[in-house]
Amino acid sequence: MAKLPTPQMLVASRPDFPKEHWLDTKPLFAPGSYCYPEKKETMELLHMPNPHNWDPAADDWNLPDNWEKILCDAFEERLEKHRSLKLFMDICVRCGACADKCHFFLGTNDPKNMPVLRAELLRSLYRRDHTALGRLLGKHVGARGWDKNVVKELFYYAYQCTECRRCSLFCPYGIDTAEITAIVRELMHEVGLGTHWIMDPVKNCSFTGNHLGIKPHSFKEIVEMLADDCETVTGIRPKTPFNEKGHEILFITPSGDVFADPGIYTFMGYLLLFHELDLDYTFSTYASEGGNFGSFTSFNMAKKLNAKMYAEAERLGVKWILGGECGHMWRVINQYMETYNGPTPANMETPKSPITGTVFSNAKATKMVHITEFTADLIRHGKLNLDPSRNDHIVTTFHDSCNPARAMGLLDEPRYILKHVCNHFVEMPENTIREQTFCCGAGSGLNTEEIMELRMRAGMPRGNALRYVQQKYGVNHMACVCAIDRATLPPLADYWAPGVTVSGVHELVANALVMKGEAKRTMDLRQEDLPNVDADEAEAVEG
Amino acid sequence: MKLTKLLHEKHEELEALWVDAVFKTYSEKAIPHLSSNADPFTNPVGNMVKEAAHCLFSALSLDDITIDAVKQALDRFVKIRAVQDFTPSQSVGVIYLIKPLLRSHILPAVDQHQLSDYLDLESRVDTLALLAFDMYTKDRETVAQIRIKEIRNQYAQLKRWAQHFNAQAPLGTFTGCGNQGCK
Ligand code: SF4
Ligand code: SF4
Repeated sequence: MAKLPTPQMLVASRPDFPKEHWLDTKPLFAPGSYCYPEKKETMELLHMPNPHNWDPAADDWNLPDNWEKILCDAFEERLEKHRSLKLFMDICVRCGACADKCHFFLGTNDPKNMPVLRAELLRSLYRRDHTALGRLLGKHVGARGWDKNVVKELFYYAYQCTECRRCSLFCPYGIDTAEITAIVRELMHEVGLGTHWIMDPVKNCSFTGNHLGIKPHSFKEIVEMLADDCETVTGIRPKTPFNEKGHEILFITPSGDVFADPGIYTFMGYLLLFHELDLDYTFSTYASEGGNFGSFTSFNMAKKLNAKMYAEAERLGVKWILGGECGHMWRVINQYMETYNGPTPANMETPKSPITGTVFSNAKATKMVHITEFTADLIRHGKLNLDPSRNDHIVTTFHDSCNPARAMGLLDEPRYILKHVCNHFVEMPENTIREQTFCCGAGSGLNTEEIMELRMRAGMPRGNALRYVQQKYGVNHMACVCAIDRATLPPLADYWAPGVTVSGVHELVANALVMKGEAKRTMDLRQEDLPNVDADEAEAVEG
Repeated sequence: MKLTKLLHEKHEELEALWVDAVFKTYSEKAIPHLSSNADPFTNPVGNMVKEAAHCLFSALSLDDITIDAVKQALDRFVKIRAVQDFTPSQSVGVIYLIKPLLRSHILPAVDQHQLSDYLDLESRVDTLALLAFDMYTKDRETVAQIRIKEIRNQYAQLKRWAQHFNAQAPLGTFTGCGNQGCK
């Protein structure tokens, strides 16, 4: 008769528990830990290599017949093209300084999510084919050959890295595992493996300019609706200039701010601020997306999708581009744009604030200014009339989004603004903010709902720090400057620190902004009553 | 010796043993990190397990402790296990790993006439496991709810625009959401 297992046996019956050599354990494609694959038709439309139908949970991924040759050649090509990759393959001394710095490792406790081992998955292949010792001694020196399980493993762990670069901060050699992940994702694409959540927006961007594939007239109508909402709250209907030639500035922001809650309130913040300044600017319905999911696909795709920014700047004849609150958009701009799409069109100039006269010489190369740099400068010159007491019901903290923090060093401007528009600002613990910030757990195209479990565990280090300041200091709000964060942090907060709301910085700016000729504010941009306003008094003013 | 006194004496030792047992449900290569770093932010899982251990053994030693306090102290621990790659039994079943510890460290010192006290003690383990099971279920429900809420939020404006447009158009002429390929 079969015996029932004891509780200890049940608890300890994990398949890899705990002994196998790390190179021999196989990833478990459990629901909640992998993204859905992209459709064949999408890959065909985008002319991606080897489009095919496949299922990550199936044994056979229907790889093309010569998959091994494709991958070996593609890897070799990239080693030649990117000197950094070759260097990263060669110089790691396995000191382990990066091992416990990744939020995926901290949340999953899976050793292959230690950055050093994540890179080792690729390095083991490199060793066999590109080092003498590896060729001779094989597994004894951590070398191995390609097989289909290795492909699965590379895929699995390349989509459990948000390319956040926290690990590189701690590596004595500056090895950037995010770049290694980016290359692995490129390699996977060579054999037709990609995810729906990334490739669908890439397709939409390729055809209509924005992630959801919203066509120009609809895009404009949605923005008009948001302008109507602004009027309901402030009594002022802001301008919504679209595709107008001859303005000084082109404004580009992630489209998530136009379509998604709570990003729309940040967008309303931009509209109101620009209106109040009487800013000489225009939107573009073609460059209607600052986000770039191409950057989660391949360098070439990132370059292609980013090209629309300068194309529109040239067509519309603007002098410079002002960019909204986004994360990876700024990494692309700050690190790659000049190489990808430069030089800038002849009509563009080094950005200069028309309100304060400040020249943003830091943006000389790209001619693009981050909106928090722009607004912090306005506040510094006393150009905004602000009433922070309108945000008195909020005790806010600030989440440094990985890309603005680590890829462009934007640390102080958002804080400077927040401290001027809110009276209650609290920092999260030191080792979880600024350069050391913990990722939301769902960047780089992992913000899809089918992997919610993975996101909740990978985002835990951030959620845990948020929960700490919530319990200790009564924090009830978290501001950020990234559209992906505005989508990913609300669920994370709902799970780890329920009761904390999330917004962009400019939503709070517009709430505090005292505009010329505005009606008495009784509600915030979300049309929720302002608790600090006496309703009768408000009515009396209106009447 | 009275059972509660015995438990008090062995509290720390048992706590450490249970923490080790929980760490062992993770991969071997992760254990040195979990056990060595004491910082709550750079080693959150290690910290959560230790917080839970302290709470569980305090509850067993019959210290003054309310259900709310137990729930509060177990909250992060149950939350992380509920979203890691475990079966439900593996997630919260680790609380039952207390029983073999009690049987090896406490039971041998228990007199015949204290047997019913000892059985009560084991029953308290069951109570704690049941509480954790409720919390686990609630956490899984939260995950399901935030999934739905997120899908709604992603297209919130689009839906509003479609409704707005639909309300203006004569019935039956609304053609879709504006997305590629949607007619
Ligand atoms: S880049 Fe971020 S997610 Fe990727 S391995 Fe490094 S720390 Fe982890
Ligand atoms: S810190 Fe750098 S050198 Fe050390 S193991 Fe990590 S990647 Fe290698």
